[in-house]
Amino acid sequence: MRLFLPFCILNLAVETSRFVQTDQGGIILRWLKTYVEKCINCGKCMETCSKTYFKEENPSLSRVVVTNPGAGQNISVCNQCGACMAVCPTEALYRDKNGVVQLDKSKCTSCLMCVGFCPTGNMLYAASKQTEPFKCVACGLCAKVCPTQALVLVND
Amino acid sequence: MEKMKVIAEWTYTPAPIERGYTRKTLYVNVGEPRMEIKDVSQDMIDTFTGGRGFDLKLLWDAVKDTTKWNDPENEIVLSGGPLCGITQYPGAGKCYAAFISPLSGQTYDSNSGGYWGPLSKFSGFDAVEVQGKAEKDIILFINGDEGKIQILESNLKDLNAYAVTETLHEYFAVDEADKRNISVISTGKAAETSYYGCMNMSFYDPRRKVARLKQAGRGGGGSIMRDKKIAAMVVKFSKIGGNLNNVVDLDTLQRVGVKLHKEIHDLDDVQCKMRKVGTAHLNEIMDEYHLLPTNNYKFGQNAAEISKIHSAVYERLFTQGMPDGCWYGCSMSCAKAVDGFTVQTGPCKGEKVTVDGPEYETVAALGSNIGVYDPLWTIEANFYADHYGMDTISLGTAIAFVCECYELGLITKKDTNGLELNFGSKDDIMELIHRMADGKDEFASMVAKGIRYMKKAFAEKFKADAKTMEAIGMEGQGVETSEYVPKESIAQWGGYYLTLKGPQHDEAWLIFMDMVNKQLPTFEDKAEALHYFPNFRTWFSLVGLCKLPWNDVEPANNRIVNEPKEAAKVPEHVQNYVDIFNAVTGKGIRKEDLITMSEKVYNFQRVFQVRMKQGEANHNIPLRALGPVFPDEWEARREYYDGKLREIGIDPSALSTEEKIKKLQEYRLGMWEGLKMAVYKRRGWNKKGIPTVETLKRLGIDYPDVVAVVEKYSKPEDNFD
Amino acid sequence: MITVNGEPLDWKPGMTVQDVLDAKRYTFRMIGIWINDRPVPKNEFSTTEVPDGAVVQAIHMVSGG
Ligand code: SF4
Ligand code: SF4
Ligand code: SF4
Repeated sequence: MRLFLPFCILNLAVETSRFVQTDQGGIILRWLKTYVEKCINCGKCMETCSKTYFKEENPSLSRVVVTNPGAGQNISVCNQCGACMAVCPTEALYRDKNGVVQLDKSKCTSCLMCVGFCPTGNMLYAASKQTEPFKCVACGLCAKVCPTQALVLVND
Repeated sequence: MEKMKVIAEWTYTPAPIERGYTRKTLYVNVGEPRMEIKDVSQDMIDTFTGGRGFDLKLLWDAVKDTTKWNDPENEIVLSGGPLCGITQYPGAGKCYAAFISPLSGQTYDSNSGGYWGPLSKFSGFDAVEVQGKAEKDIILFINGDEGKIQILESNLKDLNAYAVTETLHEYFAVDEADKRNISVISTGKAAETSYYGCMNMSFYDPRRKVARLKQAGRGGGGSIMRDKKIAAMVVKFSKIGGNLNNVVDLDTLQRVGVKLHKEIHDLDDVQCKMRKVGTAHLNEIMDEYHLLPTNNYKFGQNAAEISKIHSAVYERLFTQGMPDGCWYGCSMSCAKAVDGFTVQTGPCKGEKVTVDGPEYETVAALGSNIGVYDPLWTIEANFYADHYGMDTISLGTAIAFVCECYELGLITKKDTNGLELNFGSKDDIMELIHRMADGKDEFASMVAKGIRYMKKAFAEKFKADAKTMEAIGMEGQGVETSEYVPKESIAQWGGYYLTLKGPQHDEAWLIFMDMVNKQLPTFEDKAEALHYFPNFRTWFSLVGLCKLPWNDVEPANNRIVNEPKEAAKVPEHVQNYVDIFNAVTGKGIRKEDLITMSEKVYNFQRVFQVRMKQGEANHNIPLRALGPVFPDEWEARREYYDGKLREIGIDPSALSTEEKIKKLQEYRLGMWEGLKMAVYKRRGWNKKGIPTVETLKRLGIDYPDVVAVVEKYSKPEDNFD
Repeated sequence: MITVNGEPLDWKPGMTVQDVLDAKRYTFRMIGIWINDRPVPKNEFSTTEVPDGAVVQAIHMVSGG
């Protein structure tokens, strides 16, 4: 009864690190690398992303966010750092075998703490679509349609 | 564990939640046994809002004027409120409990984190009323998944909290993942003798893989549970989702919630460090400002020892980096825990446990106030207080009183049955705590009944001097004072002793505002603060929110855009509350309405106290709360106190310390009376502290039975002209 | 001479907000400072000088427990 599990803290430290140990022992991390200097602000990536996951062409529902507020081109997308995993109360956020941070909706309480604690502002939400937040799952579809290779899916 | 025998079972169809309400309450009589589901009227919602308001309304209807705490008709009523269970805004899982208290003989309300509040609402009930007395130990089980209510015959071997909680999470869950869908209310063996038995409400921590306990500690709810032979109350609901409250405007709720999550993320580390140390960040601050109760509130500081209980010490003891919210979505995450703690004494000796807390109050109560500066001892005392089912604050303040009585020779080693109870006598104090749970030792049982009881019992049995005990026993309305030294702040005398239910800190904490910032110079200013803050804080208890995210973090520009007095109210957060309340309920309240909503319940509860006390619901204050009682207290801050005399035109140079104390006491007693009258007047009460009929009418709580109580006990000569 | 929360305090040339807090032993983390009714941001406490004769308000923010 009420036995303390000394490893939980250790686990946590591993979980939040940018790198994951795979079964094979190698370290991989799949993520979307951005080259903002190549971006021509065409919006293709956002169309594709929102269409794929929300069946709607709507940049505010895209997980990759390209903006040009006048001050210059900007691309914002999750870098799979794992900070959100550490704050999730139900362990709904986990790293899959490719090192991508994924959300298990069945465990998610829609508290949006992960949104508030994402250091780069890339955990997103839209009440009109679903109560749970959403994020880049490193599928790479946006990279495929990007005409200038401003987005590249990498495994490193 | 073997299957428990079903004594009674009822089925029901869980009511859907609309805009934060199920509009149903559950009544269970554990004696008869009987179950009833009652409707919630629109009037009940408009007047009482929910949470503590619903609790008090149901309790009012359930008890007689003469009901004592241990009469079968006394109830434990539990309710979260319309915002309870939302996951998007920090601190939205609170459950409020109300009952007639064994300590004060009038209503008490106490709140707790843990999942009971949300899960019981999701199971279909805005409130749960428990009445009657069972013959044998029972467990009340609300199964929101299956729409089933059961009274089970307990076969628990150990009735103490951690054992009960863990066993029942295990018993009612189908697998490990299911454990978080359960919340258990438990108490412990000491609650069978104590008047300050606490209720522990649980939630399951999936990372630590242990059940965590949060406490509705104060007022003696746990004592009532055991009097009713309730071993535990359990609720289960599995289909947790992001909008179970069926709110009208999820978009706003999410937006406002995320704004606060971000604010906490950005600012907590430079502000209150709640995420790292919880409320224990206050330890050294309170010491620095002479507010940390030390040796039964004799002193407010202990420069020599404070480093031992500095928050940095606790920061190292608490496991860092865990999501420690007591409900989903609380990014304030103050529910700190010490993991892997090896128990040194008592029945759990040698076991490795996770201890919840200690919070600031416990650090002081089971620490500096009893002369102990040993965090590991305090953690152990905290563990056993929870486990045995005792409120750490009343326990600490009661022991502090005992230690002073012992040092003054009012009670002796013979009276204590062999224990040496000086301040700081750690081992003997721990033994005393174990004896309280054991229940056989007469002296320990006296301590377990609180200061008001002890004052009488010590005088009768041990011929202890009643006058001295009156002066140093830190209780008001029968309830032990919580852990701030109120002596030097007149407004805080009111914040503690002009409260509805006794000196806890959840009505008004005005010490800085009054004593340090000097923002409340006149009686009228103080009375205004003692109107605004208690009512503002009452609002949290009506809707199911935690108070901490209101002002334990503030927007970065709070002090730039607001003038000083407004800044203390954290206007942006107040607006958040208006916005999320409207987002959930669809009502269109403005910020002024928060106060009116609260005033209805605040005044109703005051009339309730008058009713239960047959017109004698008096506000008392011990001399110790007003200033030094003994010369060593004066001498410890001689320059300061001499200055206080000079301020009021008395030259201290020719006076002995005893004479000085007497002079200051006389003056301050006069101030206390002045404060009391100013506050009563501002609150719309008469000179006896009874709300006037006009006040009831203004607030729309002029129900015939409420007016009848007021009319019965009000005399014309008590009116303010 | 300046006043801090209504009480006099000796003034020294070059005295900063932080010096005032140290002199008063105000160690609390959540303090708001107003000099002659003008707010001073926290990150400027050690660089902002307090003029002689100033009325300083050092407002401790928490309303507690
Ligand atoms: S959503 Fe944010 S916190 Fe989570 S992995 Fe991506 S960048 Fe990191
Ligand atoms: S919104 Fe879901 S995924 Fe994010 S922290 Fe809350 S429970 Fe975890
Ligand atoms: S601030 Fe602390 S007590 Fe309040 S809800 Fe959050 S974790 Fe619970």
